[in-house]
Amino acid sequence: MERRPGVRVLVSAIVALVLVVAGSAGVAARTTLTVGVFPDLDSVLKAVIPEFNKVYPDIEVKLQTLGYADHHNALLTALATGSGAPDVVAIEIGYLGRFAVGGGLTDLSKPPFNAGRLKDLFVPYAWGQATTADGRIVAIPTDIGPGTMFYRRDVIQAAGLDIGSVATWNDLVQFGRKVTRDLDGDGKPDVYLIAAASTIADAMYRGNIPEGEGVYFDAQGRPVVDGPRFVNAFTVAQQVRRAGLDARIGAWSNEWYEAFKRGTVAVELSGAWLAGHLQNWMAPETAGKWGARDLPENMYVSWGGSFYAIPEQSKNKDAAWKLIQFLTTRPDIQLLAFRTTNAFPALRAALEDPSFDEPVPFLGGQRARRMWAEAAARVHVSVIHPGDPVAQEIVGSALTQVLEEGKDVRQALTEARQLIERRVRR
Amino acid sequence: MTMQSLRSWPAKVVLYLLLVSLALLTAFPFYWMFVLATHDRSTIFRAPPPMWFGTATAANYERLLAALPFWRNAWNSLYTALMATATTLFFCSLAGFGFAMYDFKGRDVLFGFLLGTMMVPGLLGIIPYYLIIRWLGWLNLPRALYVPGMASAFGIFLMRQYIASAVPAELLDAGRIDGLGEFGLYRRIVAPLIKPAFGTLGIITFVGQWNNFMGALIVLKERTAYTLPLALRSLQGLISTDWGALMLGTALSVLPLLAAFLVGSQRIIEGLTAGALKG
Amino acid sequence: MAGPGDAPMEQASRGAGAAGHPAPALPRPAATRTGLRARARPGRGAWWRRRAAPYLFISPFFILFAIFGLYPILFSFYLSFHSWNAVGGLGSMEWVGLDNYAFLLRDPWFWKSLANTVLLLIISGLPQHVIAIPLAFILNSGLVRLRNFFSSSYFMPYITSTVAVAMIFTTIYGTQYGALNTALAWLDGHGFRWLWRLLGLELPVNWLGRAAYIKPAIAMLVVWRWFGWNTVLYLAGLQTIPRELYEAAMVDGAGIYQQFRWITLPLLKPIAFFAVTLTIIGNMQLFDEPFILTGGTGGTSESGLTVALYLYRTGFEWLYMGSAAAMSWVLFVIIVGLSVLNFRLMGRAGLERRGA
Repeated sequence: MERRPGVRVLVSAIVALVLVVAGSAGVAARTTLTVGVFPDLDSVLKAVIPEFNKVYPDIEVKLQTLGYADHHNALLTALATGSGAPDVVAIEIGYLGRFAVGGGLTDLSKPPFNAGRLKDLFVPYAWGQATTADGRIVAIPTDIGPGTMFYRRDVIQAAGLDIGSVATWNDLVQFGRKVTRDLDGDGKPDVYLIAAASTIADAMYRGNIPEGEGVYFDAQGRPVVDGPRFVNAFTVAQQVRRAGLDARIGAWSNEWYEAFKRGTVAVELSGAWLAGHLQNWMAPETAGKWGARDLPENMYVSWGGSFYAIPEQSKNKDAAWKLIQFLTTRPDIQLLAFRTTNAFPALRAALEDPSFDEPVPFLGGQRARRMWAEAAARVHVSVIHPGDPVAQEIVGSALTQVLEEGKDVRQALTEARQLIERRVRR
Repeated sequence: MTMQSLRSWPAKVVLYLLLVSLALLTAFPFYWMFVLATHDRSTIFRAPPPMWFGTATAANYERLLAALPFWRNAWNSLYTALMATATTLFFCSLAGFGFAMYDFKGRDVLFGFLLGTMMVPGLLGIIPYYLIIRWLGWLNLPRALYVPGMASAFGIFLMRQYIASAVPAELLDAGRIDGLGEFGLYRRIVAPLIKPAFGTLGIITFVGQWNNFMGALIVLKERTAYTLPLALRSLQGLISTDWGALMLGTALSVLPLLAAFLVGSQRIIEGLTAGALKG
Repeated sequence: MAGPGDAPMEQASRGAGAAGHPAPALPRPAATRTGLRARARPGRGAWWRRRAAPYLFISPFFILFAIFGLYPILFSFYLSFHSWNAVGGLGSMEWVGLDNYAFLLRDPWFWKSLANTVLLLIISGLPQHVIAIPLAFILNSGLVRLRNFFSSSYFMPYITSTVAVAMIFTTIYGTQYGALNTALAWLDGHGFRWLWRLLGLELPVNWLGRAAYIKPAIAMLVVWRWFGWNTVLYLAGLQTIPRELYEAAMVDGAGIYQQFRWITLPLLKPIAFFAVTLTIIGNMQLFDEPFILTGGTGGTSESGLTVALYLYRTGFEWLYMGSAAAMSWVLFVIIVGLSVLNFRLMGRAGLERRGA
């Protein structure tokens, strides 16, 4: 081995430096639009691009697909350094709050976009999630996840119970005491109310948020996590755990899928999207045994959703805006997306399509999509706060301490509030 | 306890049992990965999970190729890892030789500094790393991945420690008397003596680069420039992941490493035959 | 050891030393030796080349470091005195002085993560070496065949990608159907119940859900992933120990334990110092394994939250980049401290070289 490789590298480094300084700009007749997405949105884009090119033949769409977490990480680096972001980016609701602060994403309320005029086209809460406190519109919603309660008809029937009797969360606990049963007499229950007690708390504190408030912060940005909404949610979850009504199974584990297949949990709270996954791969053999209904106490919550945004650094904002409008405001395209991946449309016109009145065989012929569309319309508009991700983490930690280590609810939440206050002050 | 007593057959049986069960423990995940690669996601997530091969291999392969330019990505990974290995072995052994066998002003300070650089948590470096690579115009190029680590502190440290214990100073003096230049000493005397270390560092570098994910995420923006870890992870969604195709891709991506390691460990063995040199 | 100023003298004395022993014969490549020797007679040029050579040899590292390493380090140092939400771009940093450090020192989660990291360093670092050294010794001793096969299989976990590791281990640690709990339940039925009582285990063990079990679960994964890596390092080190030493010891009647204790361990020091230093540096920055097993969260009651994981979450998930930078510097100081301690304990011998 000679020393030449090293020399060559150094030379090429210098050459590259010179080239960069010299700079270069390509001029193309066709606009190339880069779009950054994560699965399943890549499937949606692949289906939509041919349609888009029928209308806009001079815009070539290039997909950059990354894993879910990787996509958002790469976007963060691109925004931080001011370069390298695609022209259109998909953003999942869990990340939207943190990308909305700062000036990284184009404010679509301004000309030439004037997105404010599109407001009434969308499910109100989804639109609200993409609007910042100072009135900027940073993204356009494409799909939503209205929260719902799935239940096993066969399991509940076998216990001689009626899910219709559950009106309040307290009813759900009472219902759980009856449905949780030891069938083979080995001293351990074979059917539980729900996979994890924490899911109940998650649903409860996200529901009935006062108008103008966020999940974790009030309109003034003060954390409200030791308020009654959280105390109540934690207390119910604690009751469920103490009574042994949950199977203590984490989501997205083999145990979770197996519980759905075998019918060892009677209900599960989730976004409407869970139905598509149950049907496609988690538990296809349970078709027809499931039902869905609204959450107790007419609580309507948001459980997932995706958006499209244009990074401020994009050089093709015009074409980017064309694609986003095409993806989000055309009912036929939103329905195409729904057929491709079960992504529940955020566009109201798409929800009015007759296909949403059809019975869903997997859910025993129920007209569940209409129910979810109506539930989505009732979700309160809540305010996003840049501290949401860290608050979510701290509250989640407090919840596991309550459930796993038996910590006092009020004490756990007071400590959580103090932690959040200290963290978000800077 | 003497060597003889360990050579008796009951002791040997126990020893082999121990070694074999350890080997099974470490090799099992490999077996299982290949098993999962032959299933689709509806059978992967059974409980208990499948332990024997399934029938979805062809379908997984088809979906893998539909989702990714898999072989293109594999070539990118191979090229980057080979370049990284070749350059790292050369620069690190040379520097390790310098630190191990010479007394020069500032050596201990410089070596301490080099060790110190390993202790800086690297995570926050990714933002400036991106800025430098963009400034050099190396986005989407393999060299953006292997050039920064060519003379890694880790590799130099390993080589220094190995050379210090494997190369007697007398040999170098003899070499000088025989008229070898300083680089000649490295090439004719040091390099042949440190084959096992070449093998070890080579494998570690190759595997490290083959699996390099964070760097690739930051500097590779084009689908066709992706290396395998990046491409494979692009199958992972929030709720929807094609686990069958992902496991098949992962299994395929590990095969070359397996081959490389088997060849590499052969080299380690070869190093023993140089034992005649060591007085 | 001769001082740095008198290289020619040193050369002369070493030459004499080499001549005094029946020095190993160099594979003399050609018969033109004498001619070469005449040309390279230690004159001014050779002396100068010998002084300059080491600087030249080590220069690639420092050049590359200047290009790729210095800026990131300065950047994160600068960043640690600022408040920066990265999505606002580079222009949105705000000077906050020592505020990030002050926050950190009073942040309960930081202290928790530091304690977790140190505990994990011990319970996952120690076993790696305790397994690897005897294992490498046995493999190197010629007692067993198939050395190649065994060392390859022990190294395998290092090759496996994190995707595969994540799939496999979350399944192994599953509460109801996990392989580990299945094995424990089988043992439970075969007379091992007293052992669980002793350890305070309650079957089935919720490995990844209960705070008390997360650290052992992480440690087992770390040991599984890295003991083979260390074994290979030690194997390479053992091969520098001349076989004749063992043979001489055997002639003197030394048993296998004496050989291990009095030949292997002392001569293994340079590589052991290297391996232990790397374990300290690597485990203090432990990230992959807790990330995989806790789904990136740190687990129940943050009991699997390491400093590196907390740093990542603080900077990249919650976007307090300044805090994260300060954290990385505090971590750096701690790692340096531990490494110096390691150096004090075993480094002197670890940095010595043969023949010097």
